[in-house]
Amino acid sequence: MELVINGKKQELDAETIQDVINHFGLAGKPVVVEADGSVLTAAQWADTSVRPHMQIELVHFVGGG
Amino acid sequence: MKQDLLRIGNRELSSRFFIGTGLFPNPYVQKEAIKASGAQVLTFAVRRINLEATEDDSILQHLQHEEYIYLPNTSGARTAEEAVRIARLARASGLSDWIKVEISANERTLLPDPIETLKATETLVKEGFTVLPYITDDPIMCKRLEEAGAAAVMPGAAPIGTGLGILNPYHLGLIVEDANVPIIVDAGLGSVSDVTQAMELGVSAVLMNTPVAKARNPVGMAQAMRMGIEAGRLAYLSGRIEKKRYASASSGYEAFKLN
Repeated sequence: MELVINGKKQELDAETIQDVINHFGLAGKPVVVEADGSVLTAAQWADTSVRPHMQIELVHFVGGG
Repeated sequence: MKQDLLRIGNRELSSRFFIGTGLFPNPYVQKEAIKASGAQVLTFAVRRINLEATEDDSILQHLQHEEYIYLPNTSGARTAEEAVRIARLARASGLSDWIKVEISANERTLLPDPIETLKATETLVKEGFTVLPYITDDPIMCKRLEEAGAAAVMPGAAPIGTGLGILNPYHLGLIVEDANVPIIVDAGLGSVSDVTQAMELGVSAVLMNTPVAKARNPVGMAQAMRMGIEAGRLAYLSGRIEKKRYASASSGYEAFKLN
């Protein structure tokens, strides 16, 4: 299905947010997900279904002051 | 002397050095510099993952979480709304409920937007965050942020990354005098003498990144800064002499008179 991930359209075979995480090889990494404006904890990923054109943000921590 | 601890929110810290994690030449030097700094609080930023190259470039892969308190910042935010969004994302990581509110509306100076910073602080305090706002060195704004529930207030010494040192020591002194929460100088410091001056003015801690990360020897500079912070703090607690216009002999003038 078509999703909008980090501002870009992506065609992905995914049913849940966890599938999206797995697709990008991000399982077990310190990643935070926002789906259609709602922030999800890691515990919610497997139970959160994706829907066509869902806006997903995948963020992490980088160096900064 | 009894141990001089810094209390922020519900945490007690023995180090008064908050260190940023940007701009280091490589992860090894960064890790060694952090170790040399003795810092217990680390700052970093929240960014989108580059999906073209997701092999781990997260800062956290190089650090042991349990050793540090993490202070994510909201850099990149230009409004209170954006900062609140970044703060919520950062907290969802489960790593920390501390947040450095940083809202810059001017790309050239990166000076904080005081109105948006106050709005974001009010919202995030209500949501249970431990909020440490970065703000200009304005005594009234600092007071407003304290009244809004900030756990500490972080006035800048000079614009971010400039290394110009403390542009307005008079204001910083007033801010400290009037504060009921820790005051942490954040941004603009360049040298050990700058941090010592800040500590002598009575601030509770300093937050630095560029002067350590961009030093020729970041590890050596981290250690030097740590020593400067400790020296300045001890000097503040010990009380400096008053300045006088004219000389006063330290051995007593009368003793030199031969009649």
